[in-house]
Amino acid sequence: MHDKQFMKEMLQDSAHAYKEGRMDRRTFLALCGASGVALTAVMAGDAEAAADHVVMWNWGGQSEECHGSAIGDAFTAKTGKGLKFDTSGPLEGKIKEMVDSGNVTADVADADLFNAVSLGPTGHLEPIDYSVVSKDKTLPGYALEHGVSVILYGYAFVYDTEAYGDNPPENWADFFDTEKFPGMRSLYKWANGSLEAALMADGVAGDALYPLDMDRALAKIKSIKDNSLYWGSGSAAHSMVVNGEVSMGMIWQNRGRNIENDTEGRYKLVNNQALAMPGAYIVPKGNPAGAAVMDFIATAQDVPAQLALLDCLGMTPSNPAAFGQIPEDQQDYAITSAKNIDKIVYNDPEWWGNNGGDAVNAFLEAIS
Amino acid sequence: MQSFTRHFHPGWLIIAPLLVLVVALYLGPILNILWLSVTDPEPGFGNYAKLGESDALLRIVWTTVRICIITTLFSVTLGYSIAYAMVHCHQRQKSYMLTLLLVSFWISILVRTFSWLMLLGRRGLVNVTLEDIGLIAEPIAFMRNELGVLIGMVHYMIPYAVLPLLVSMQSLDTRVMDASRNLGASGAQTFWRIYLPLTMPGLVASTLLVFILSLGFYVTPAVLGGGKVLMVAEYISVQLLVTLKWGTAAMLAALMLFGVLAMLWVMSRFMKLSTVFGGTTR
Repeated sequence: MHDKQFMKEMLQDSAHAYKEGRMDRRTFLALCGASGVALTAVMAGDAEAAADHVVMWNWGGQSEECHGSAIGDAFTAKTGKGLKFDTSGPLEGKIKEMVDSGNVTADVADADLFNAVSLGPTGHLEPIDYSVVSKDKTLPGYALEHGVSVILYGYAFVYDTEAYGDNPPENWADFFDTEKFPGMRSLYKWANGSLEAALMADGVAGDALYPLDMDRALAKIKSIKDNSLYWGSGSAAHSMVVNGEVSMGMIWQNRGRNIENDTEGRYKLVNNQALAMPGAYIVPKGNPAGAAVMDFIATAQDVPAQLALLDCLGMTPSNPAAFGQIPEDQQDYAITSAKNIDKIVYNDPEWWGNNGGDAVNAFLEAIS
Repeated sequence: MQSFTRHFHPGWLIIAPLLVLVVALYLGPILNILWLSVTDPEPGFGNYAKLGESDALLRIVWTTVRICIITTLFSVTLGYSIAYAMVHCHQRQKSYMLTLLLVSFWISILVRTFSWLMLLGRRGLVNVTLEDIGLIAEPIAFMRNELGVLIGMVHYMIPYAVLPLLVSMQSLDTRVMDASRNLGASGAQTFWRIYLPLTMPGLVASTLLVFILSLGFYVTPAVLGGGKVLMVAEYISVQLLVTLKWGTAAMLAALMLFGVLAMLWVMSRFMKLSTVFGGTTR
């Protein structure tokens, strides 16, 4: 362990030296070889971070551009450090694998807050430095030891106005009622959100969801299984609706606006009883840029960044100071807007962090 | 020295680097997986015991095996007719057919999977056309179920079935069939008693290839199954990436590996496998 730390520091120093021209390429590569570090790892990770960059690990697509313009530019202006991306998607298993392999190439992962609960205690994450990051710039309960919620996304649903125009569905109970609202449904395949929606449909109050009653939730899920499809990615959820495969579809609320546009208003978003999910920034243990990443997270919490993320990605601000500044045209779509904030319910990252694995498997077993 | 070279052919030296590479990059990780399956989360055979305890795991394995068997059956049967047609038509048509086959072989699995959705989806070309001409009132559920998975997988696997069969049929001595007809056998008799047995190595090769590749299918079931058709590969990926039950994932991977090895072993009891892989019958 000690040796590893020494090797890493030596390599970072030599990466600096190489970059500034004090060391030739061959010597640098020889050092990499001698310390048993693959060249790609050094180039992608340590060398880049040492070259004054923060590497953000996100999900690709639009988010690369949006994180750059919403947070990266302000961060660079403030600290002089750049922002680079790894767009391979920081799933929990990938973070664990990266840290376990000792080859950490990312500084901050755009993940879920429940990842902080499950990966924090096992030593895979750096603690958040709350002298730099603010606990007040997020919702209460969403600033945890190993992760802080920077944005919210929600599990909401869209419905087909042509099918249910006169008597539109208003809540999850209607969503699960295939007698009154005949047609196909789509739900999230990895349990999250689907379980909460099922419980609310079954009459559980939004503030009394946790701990989740798994048997009750799964029974409700199974009750509409014959009329359900399940999606595993935002684009799949989107295409199931846009291609007319479902009459009501659970979606990530930040896609609501695009779906309404793509279907020319035929499908409409319902944010009532939307489940607010704390999207969090977490830091893999031994991240190459070190403490500098905390400045990055703090920048993302600032109101301008929060509003820019809403504008660019549809992700809802989690900083209460930004709630009042949500623009008029986003009021319907942002779940913490004045129009929606009283209607939504909140995810409990503690429950999901501790029980998520078993819940996902139980859900998969119920639907397959 | 002489006894040394007798036991140790110098040719080994030439292939030694390759062997080392294979062991390090291929066997190493596999052993690691096997190790993980008996050590994570705790040492012992707990992960394997789950197979007996959990209906769900058995159901997933059974779904996988069932889908793979049906896929293999259809792909190889269709592949056999295609290969037969290719061998027995004119050179010019044969090149057209080969080109079409290879083009579909090269198109990405994602593209091919999503094309099926556009063709056979609820509001796909076929359903909309049938509804428009009044043949059906409700869309037919081709996709987002097991039928959809099978259609997608058979389509993907046909080139894999055709290629080994094509090689095997091309290398046949056609005079044997002529002799059979000459001696009074009917066309059907010649096919069943001469042609089919002679192409058996190709048939077994394509069956094995299709079946083994099908076991690892991930994209097609995930997309065309609508989330309701859960096969082992997708389950393994969820255990690795989402639920962090690496032991379960490793156990299932090991199970697949041993399943395939067992299948090869059973096959080898009935025929010389080396002929399947292009060796001689000696």
